Amino acid sequence: MSEMCTCDDKDQLVAYLYGELGDEARRRVDEHLRLCAACAEEAAGLTHVRNELAGWAPPDADLGFTVVPATRAVDRTPQVLRPPRGWAPATLPVWARAVAAVLVVAAGLSIANLQVRYGAEGLMVTTGWMARPTPAAAPATAAATPPSSASVPAPVSTDWRPALAALEASLREEVQAARSGAGAVAAGTPASRDNSPTMQRVSELIEQSERRQRQELALRLTQFGRDLEVQRRSDLVRINQGFGQFEGRAGAEIARQRQMLDYIMRVSAPPPPQ
Amino acid sequence: MAWTDEELVARSVAGDADSFNQLIHRWERPIYALAYRVIGRDEDARDVVQETFLRAFRALPGFKGQAKFSSWLYRIALNLCRDWIRRQKRTPVVAAPEGVDVIELASAQGPVESIEDLVARNQLSASVAVAMQKLPEEQRTAIILKEYHGLTFQEIADLQGCPLSTVKTRLYQGLSVLRRDLESQGLTRARAAERAS
Repeated sequence: MSEMCTCDDKDQLVAYLYGELGDEARRRVDEHLRLCAACAEEAAGLTHVRNELAGWAPPDADLGFTVVPATRAVDRTPQVLRPPRGWAPATLPVWARAVAAVLVVAAGLSIANLQVRYGAEGLMVTTGWMARPTPAAAPATAAATPPSSASVPAPVSTDWRPALAALEASLREEVQAARSGAGAVAAGTPASRDNSPTMQRVSELIEQSERRQRQELALRLTQFGRDLEVQRRSDLVRINQGFGQFEGRAGAEIARQRQMLDYIMRVSAPPPPQ
Repeated sequence: MAWTDEELVARSVAGDADSFNQLIHRWERPIYALAYRVIGRDEDARDVVQETFLRAFRALPGFKGQAKFSSWLYRIALNLCRDWIRRQKRTPVVAAPEGVDVIELASAQGPVESIEDLVARNQLSASVAVAMQKLPEEQRTAIILKEYHGLTFQEIADLQGCPLSTVKTRLYQGLSVLRRDLESQGLTRARAAERAS
């Protein structure tokens, strides 16, 4: 063993582990580790610890701090702004945020089916899924409105009256049909149902909703099953580990008890005859 | 072309806040990682990062470049961590569930890693974190600076304000305690055997 490297020279060992030794010093430590089993075992153990340390990573935090210098004369304190957790809109340029806002508003308006009209009666704003009634769907209004109103668009000021009357008639028909029973509905009202855009739309919405719910249910069930399986398997691993530790402890305790019994037997045995 | 730290510092001193924001972008993650590992709490580590850059920005005109900018930041962050630990008056504890939520991790698992491996790796990481938090602050900081930030013994000595031999002693003692701790849980030996097989 070299006189420059001894078992007590832990500084050398640490420098060796972290590769901060010169060639000559490293060669001496290598030589020592080749000859000294205890130091070699310690070096291997510390290397394993370093390997384990490599697996410890901090959480993948969403950072994004920015500094904002003071601009006002009264406030001379700069600030380091902390980003909000999750999404950070402050990182988007102003124009991008404006475009996003316009898109959101446009999408909202299209979903709400917003209609703005301006006529002799003033400004009219309508929303919802109710489309203007077609002439075929509004036979009840034929008497109340001139024949030309079906082909020529009515003036804006009177347009809502026939539409309202048609809707009322349509609703009355549907209520009547519903009251007359399922058979009557099947026999007598499919045409009126098919002709009602509102009912068609409602049916579509219900169908879509049911489809979504079925998909969601299937997804949840799959996810639940998977979570359950993961939890079960992780529990099994933990239980196995727990048993392993318990067995280790129990074994150590048994060995200790055995040693103690041996000791008691030894000291309590009568002295051998002289 | 990417500016060096020194160039960005010079531009920041001249009043260019964007340059300082580039410095933040470059160094916020290492500083966060350092703070998180030293004090063991995500939210407090974020506070340390924020305060570190705020102090650095305020003190920038006085920074003459005697040390590397990164070393200067590390020093500020470590002082803040030390203050935080003093305020806590107790050993910080890493929230183990952050690292051992097996369900959450399992849902993000890759196809090549079994659930058992995932759980084992995750528990191992949590065990390392907890074992690290049991170390004295000086030993823990020395190990963190060496293992995760690759500083030299001399740089760590400068940051910790101690002789170089003290740094080596802290590293040796810290690693030895960690080794005993992890081996008592049957971790390093089991892993070593796995690797050997």
